[in-house]
Amino acid sequence: MKHYRPIANVRIGADRRGGLREAEPLAILALDSLTKVYRDPMTLKPFTAVDEVTLTLQRGEVFGLLGPNGAGKTTTIKMILGLANPTSGQALLDGRDPRDPEARRRLGYLPENPCFYDHLTPTEYLDFVGELFGIEPGARRSRAGVLLDRLGLAAHAKKPLRKFSKGMTQRLGLAQALLNRPTLLVLDEPMSGLDPIGRAEVKQLLREERAAGTTVLLSSHVLAETEAICDRVGIMNAGRLIEVGSVPGLLSSGVREWEIAVERLPERLATEFRGEGHRVDAVGSRWIVRVTEGPALQDILGRLCRDSVFVHAVEPRRQTLEEHFVRALAGDERAPS
Amino acid sequence: MSRVLAIARNTVREVVRERMVLVLAIFGVALVAASQVFSPLAMGEGRKIVTDFGLAGSTVLATMLTIFLGSSLLHKELDRRTIYAVMAKPIRRADFLLGKFAGLWATTALLLAGMTGIVLAVVTISYHETPWVVLGALVLTLAELAVVTAIVIFFSAFTTPALTAFFTVATVVAGHFAEDLHYFGGQGGSAAVAGITEAIYWALPHLALFNARGLVAHGIAVEPERLLFALAYGALYATASLIAAGAIFERREFR
Repeated sequence: MKHYRPIANVRIGADRRGGLREAEPLAILALDSLTKVYRDPMTLKPFTAVDEVTLTLQRGEVFGLLGPNGAGKTTTIKMILGLANPTSGQALLDGRDPRDPEARRRLGYLPENPCFYDHLTPTEYLDFVGELFGIEPGARRSRAGVLLDRLGLAAHAKKPLRKFSKGMTQRLGLAQALLNRPTLLVLDEPMSGLDPIGRAEVKQLLREERAAGTTVLLSSHVLAETEAICDRVGIMNAGRLIEVGSVPGLLSSGVREWEIAVERLPERLATEFRGEGHRVDAVGSRWIVRVTEGPALQDILGRLCRDSVFVHAVEPRRQTLEEHFVRALAGDERAPS
Repeated sequence: MSRVLAIARNTVREVVRERMVLVLAIFGVALVAASQVFSPLAMGEGRKIVTDFGLAGSTVLATMLTIFLGSSLLHKELDRRTIYAVMAKPIRRADFLLGKFAGLWATTALLLAGMTGIVLAVVTISYHETPWVVLGALVLTLAELAVVTAIVIFFSAFTTPALTAFFTVATVVAGHFAEDLHYFGGQGGSAAVAGITEAIYWALPHLALFNARGLVAHGIAVEPERLLFALAYGALYATASLIAAGAIFERREFR
């Protein structure tokens, strides 16, 4: 059996003169040039599923790993959990190799399209999971009860899992991931299979976990919802992490245009605005003037006020994460490899 | 250790809740009871026939069940991806395999003990004498089942259910004839053949060592020395198989 040497929870580095640098807390998750190459079993042709991914997660942040199907998100997650071995590079959970069972003691994981033992009930399954974490029987029973209640499964606690719908299985997946009060929660497509109410509940749950100081790494296709939850996101494509940043930072180029909603726009002004290159559309009883530059916005608002036109609202329209994502992928595919 | 027990308990639950086990258990009980049918033909040897037939039937059934369930036990976990959530917990892969082994062995051992109990009951009721010597054969067969369970876990750590079943059946059959293989290998005259058969002889499980069914059917008790030697050999063989399985499973990728 392989033994893994635990590493202290702080990193102490040597400076250029050989003295010790100030201790800094270790990242809860650090990926260093993480690479996974699979070989076709028949042709032995190599296929790079994850290519030199370097990433650090700080404590208490919610990080979204985004990317199209086959981008390498799930393979990256498997290496983070020790389910797959990196071809090169390394992943460290709180400074430890994820293949060391101790590294996974405060880890919660929800697999993509989770599947649990059909022959068990949710109560039995959570008890089993609690035992794997080494939680005392009384504590695991009470924690399981709280989680089943929190995830809306209390009424189904004695129902065999084979009778569970996809959404219910997803909720149980979240319950088992939270059972050990994890410091790092890894969720592979947590919104999958959930109805809108379920999604809203999961978002709320993730906000609560973040407030409690839990670090969350989630992979998702549901970009609109990821945008609302994540502090930072990383975009993966063809195994590479092509972009990482805070959501506001990535979208900072941000306001694409302003929409000015007005009541009864005089024909003269509408013609003038169109002549200056702005879009003017009648929407019901109102008019919408779309302006793309800040100085033009100031100018138009001034002219509307002078003509005593009632302005209902001025709304900035920002780039969504989805739009940014599509642009980033398109840019990556155009870039020479 | 509690983690190994948790996996073992879950495996017992999983196996017991399979309908196939119930069907085989009923079949086993019927088989043991049916041995009574042959006793009138045995010309005074009825007690021997019932004991021999009952014990042999129970052993074959328990071995079949071990191979049938064991060959798909790991594959089912990988195929349905139930193993992903489990292996993300603080558990070593070797402990997971050990739990699977313990759970499967416990289930088939219970079934075997139950069927042996029925043999004892049938003989006691029919011949007004309890053949307690049967318990020696039971202990040996339990050790044999541990070896077979470890072999099936070893093969399932790296191959498909069908190949696992095939390799295990081949190993079990060859293991019963290990002595014959050794004898015929030595008769060929070629040093190479003799060397190869010698290596195979030592690698194969010597399952004939665990077969005392004929002996106890004649009312002869298993000697303590043989019992101890067989148990030590069984423990060693099963441990070696599980260590090899653990080493292979440790490197296995979950795709």
